[in-house]
Amino acid sequence: MSEPAAPPEPRASQPDSTRTGPGRLLVAIYALFALSASARAGVQIATKFGHAPVAYLLSAFAGMVYILATVTLAVGSPAARRIAVLSCSVELAGVLAVGTWSLADPATFPDATVWSSYGSGYGFVPLVLPVFGLLWLRRWTRRARTLRTTATSAEDAGEAAGGGAGHGGGGGLGHSAEDVVADGRT
Amino acid sequence: MSSVNGAVPTTIIIAGLALAGYALLMTARNRRMSVPLLAAVGVLEILLLVQVGIIVARLAGGERPAGLATLIGYLIAMPFIPVAAAFWGLAERSRWGPAVIAVAGLVAAVLMVRLHQIWPVIHV
Repeated sequence: MSEPAAPPEPRASQPDSTRTGPGRLLVAIYALFALSASARAGVQIATKFGHAPVAYLLSAFAGMVYILATVTLAVGSPAARRIAVLSCSVELAGVLAVGTWSLADPATFPDATVWSSYGSGYGFVPLVLPVFGLLWLRRWTRRARTLRTTATSAEDAGEAAGGGAGHGGGGGLGHSAEDVVADGRT
Repeated sequence: MSSVNGAVPTTIIIAGLALAGYALLMTARNRRMSVPLLAAVGVLEILLLVQVGIIVARLAGGERPAGLATLIGYLIAMPFIPVAAAFWGLAERSRWGPAVIAVAGLVAAVLMVRLHQIWPVIHV
């Protein structure tokens, strides 16, 4: 057992994108569901659409939401993060709505979707996944807000100290500040 | 013959669960991706390729399951699971790399159960 331990430096433990750190695991699971849900829906729609049209269309919709969430979480830019929040929210609403619908009206679902019975056919992962996704994204929104506050106060301090020094100090934060500006009103 | 048939899927389930357990232990102990972990992923890959070969041989022999399209989808996707997990996990420099490998191990085990559901002649 000579596995290298992760470097203890604090900066390395701070993920630098929604796709790193715990996000690495999240994107992997999202990719898995994107593949399985859309491939399954594709086969069902192509071979036996008439059997359970509502279920298959919902499966296809779920597949597209998973693809969107996978890509946006992997990209991780401020704009992508906002789309990721939207797709995770749609996903959570979808699994709750379709889960309830499938239990209340089983006749509409002669065949299961990913979201039937709150995702019980997939170990309830479809129910838990959007919750973790939203929690992970919330951490990023908060960090962006903190950075914006830091950047603004640094700028204020710089202006108070007199122009030139302020610009120099802001340079180091350049990339993060750009992120924050693009993040807009989150 | 049927016991030979079931040997590979059963081995994959045990290997997949063992790999997932080992990888999760590495995550819990804050370890990064390592050579032993990659070697274990390689073993899982070989086992999955053997399983694909066995099923392709059965299909070539003229046998057909009810859900042929689904089975072919599984045959195509199966060998990519450990490879994709290895690349995605290696790109991570923290404990979350092994966590990705754990997912691949669990998925391999679940795939064997699903294969049996799609085509019951594939014993587990």
